Amino acid sequence: MNELSWFVVRRLFQGLVVVLTVTAIVFVVTRLIGDPVAIMLPLDATEAQRETLRRALGLDQPVYLQFIDFLRSLFALDFGESYWQHRPNIDIIRERLPATFQLVGAGMLLAVVLALPLGTVAAMYPGRLPDRITSALSLVGLSVPLFWLGLILIYVFAAQLRILPSSGPGTFVHLVLPAVTLALPSAGRLAMLVRSSLIDELNAPYVKTAVAKGLPLWRILGVHTYVNAAVPTLTMIGWEVTRSLAGHTIIVETVFAWPGLGLAAIQAIQREDLLLLQAIVFVVALMVVVINLALDLVYKFIDPRISV
Amino acid sequence: MNAFTGGVRAIVVVGLLAMAPALAQAQSVTMAISSEPSTLDPQKTMDGGERRVNDNVFEALLSRNADSELAPGLAIELPKRIDDTTWQFKLRQGVKFHNGELFNADAVVHSVTRIFSPEYKSTVLGDLTGIKGAEKVDDHTVNIKTTRLDTLLPARMYWLKIVPMKGSEDPSFASKPVGTGPYRVTEWVRGNYVQLERNPDYWGPKPQIEKARYRFVSEGGTALAGLIAGEFDFVDNLQAEFARQAPQVARRQGLEHSFSAISTENPATKDKRVRQALNYAVDKEALAESLFMGFAKPARGQMIGDKSFGFNDALKPWPYDPAKARALLKEAGAEGSTIEYVVPASRWPKSKEMGEAIAGYWQAVGLKTDLKVLEFSQFLVRLRDRKVRPDVIFSSHNNALMEAERTVQVFYQSIDKATSSSIVDAKADQLVAAAGNEPDNARRKAIYNELMQRGYDEAWFLFLLNTDDVYGLSKRMTWKPRLDNKVFLSEMTVK
Repeated sequence: MNELSWFVVRRLFQGLVVVLTVTAIVFVVTRLIGDPVAIMLPLDATEAQRETLRRALGLDQPVYLQFIDFLRSLFALDFGESYWQHRPNIDIIRERLPATFQLVGAGMLLAVVLALPLGTVAAMYPGRLPDRITSALSLVGLSVPLFWLGLILIYVFAAQLRILPSSGPGTFVHLVLPAVTLALPSAGRLAMLVRSSLIDELNAPYVKTAVAKGLPLWRILGVHTYVNAAVPTLTMIGWEVTRSLAGHTIIVETVFAWPGLGLAAIQAIQREDLLLLQAIVFVVALMVVVINLALDLVYKFIDPRISV
Repeated sequence: MNAFTGGVRAIVVVGLLAMAPALAQAQSVTMAISSEPSTLDPQKTMDGGERRVNDNVFEALLSRNADSELAPGLAIELPKRIDDTTWQFKLRQGVKFHNGELFNADAVVHSVTRIFSPEYKSTVLGDLTGIKGAEKVDDHTVNIKTTRLDTLLPARMYWLKIVPMKGSEDPSFASKPVGTGPYRVTEWVRGNYVQLERNPDYWGPKPQIEKARYRFVSEGGTALAGLIAGEFDFVDNLQAEFARQAPQVARRQGLEHSFSAISTENPATKDKRVRQALNYAVDKEALAESLFMGFAKPARGQMIGDKSFGFNDALKPWPYDPAKARALLKEAGAEGSTIEYVVPASRWPKSKEMGEAIAGYWQAVGLKTDLKVLEFSQFLVRLRDRKVRPDVIFSSHNNALMEAERTVQVFYQSIDKATSSSIVDAKADQLVAAAGNEPDNARRKAIYNELMQRGYDEAWFLFLLNTDDVYGLSKRMTWKPRLDNKVFLSEMTVK
């Protein structure tokens, strides 16, 4: 096996450890803080009614037995049945994944499309007006709370101007507001990073040489500096995608009634649907690991000097 | 073109023109509800989203009229009690389920058997406790048997939706339900909407609205924006803060009563005067105004409303009188003592804010409050703990059967007999038991009244608010909310 294959195997193994650790933590925490039976039954249900349901759900078993059971079914890719929807969790996840992918895909694409030109302009005129405007915008973008931003966008574009739908999935126009909401804070952070990495590169001796040689600006940027600035930028994009999947989508999907995995997670928490929550966490953790692995391979591709 | 096809075309064109006004009148509405149904099987689970949809798709043997009184539904008249444990229902004839199955005694027996079957694991049996089973007498007569004398059986049957024998055994029933109601489910796109269409073969009057789409919007601000934008005609559970911005608001005094149970056993609250002082100290009017924007009223010294059987009309809201509270505390020698107050952070609207305000009121009359705002599941642990009761614990009660029985069984009995009580009182236990065995309505009402009076005099509770049900409506919608919080499309009209 060559070096690269070893690398992939090693990272996959590390990833598996990460996924299992995260799942185990969620498993223990959810069982410590809540009792699904108490939530599922009416407030004045009797102890006998609760006991019956507890047994039916297998919650009367000791926690370690439940965990072993849970691991065993995970390896069989069986995520159990949702307490809340009374159907297999895998079906729910399969239904919800496309919406989340759409949202994160569109949101991150938009973030990159916004951040690259903004960051570049700022880097070319450091300390001058374009830079100040870009930095101010980025700062606003990365510091607004997503929740508030989403509601404001809905209020302006749906309730007042009536040019976009307020919520829900459906057509491409339904995707616009949630994707913009998800994109703006990420675009703010990305633009700042593109700016600072480009400034570093633009001050490097090779750029001065290139300028002295009379190379046109687009060539200096496109062929040299962007490629060199790509590694930190890609790291940041990977990080933004991860944050979106594992956190921001929960907020954005809730505000926009967007039926993705994040909304399912919050619904599972509200209903103490432990098995569904575990399944979602497992899937999200898996995605994060895969994204990181993919990024590592891309680095290697961009810059062969990076040792794996 | 020959004369024949020309004639056909003419007929088609004329026909289409004739249909045009009818098409224009086809009314459809979009309803924003706060959660997606977890299932559309009406017998499985306690689920607000499911209920919003299925109340239009399924029917029960009995209904309630505009005054919230029990009325015929799939039964043609109110049932008769033919012996202590048997109620007889006469069924409506010629009613069909959406799949063509006939509604008859077999369907009723099946519905009752199904919901109680242990393998089915229904979690909605709470209000149906005491039903033993159903027996077919003939095709259109059914006897419902109860385990003991049960005067509430008719009210319980309002909550038991009738499902078809064959249709309900189909695995797709939970996603494509089949009922007898004025609307049928045509499509459920998970995560997006449930689509209903008027049932053309409905046995009752034809409702105006032809199509309804239920969307699931959990965030109140988003639902309000959709209402303002004209995307929604109805928003469930509109937050009081948003009422002023909504195009139209529908409100009605509901069945929800917030209160707090005060322990009669804990040292801090053992003295009746302290419990009374806790009531005198709190300005209920102010809580209703500032926290609920006026969409609530101080409760009238009990946890059931004036339309419920057993309501004690003599009781008035507990007056706000901080001076009296201070005097009572002084008399009891309880000045400066510490009261533990357990409040849930969620589940009931504004519970946390109410808890904080009340702690402030108690502070103002010279008490210290050990306020514990807990996550709901942690709160439940305290609520269920039979051994260590908090001095005071927040709760809220919604008696959907509209008779005091459940209220007194849960809250007005001693700790060892009830699921959520904080009192010990032999007299109360005796009264609750007597009410359960009393078939005579007047005498039973007298017992409930006595219990309510006793709960008030002994200050077993801090009586708080009776909150309104609030809904947002589009400008074109005409609808009056119901006391029981059911939302029937058949009662709505749009312009």
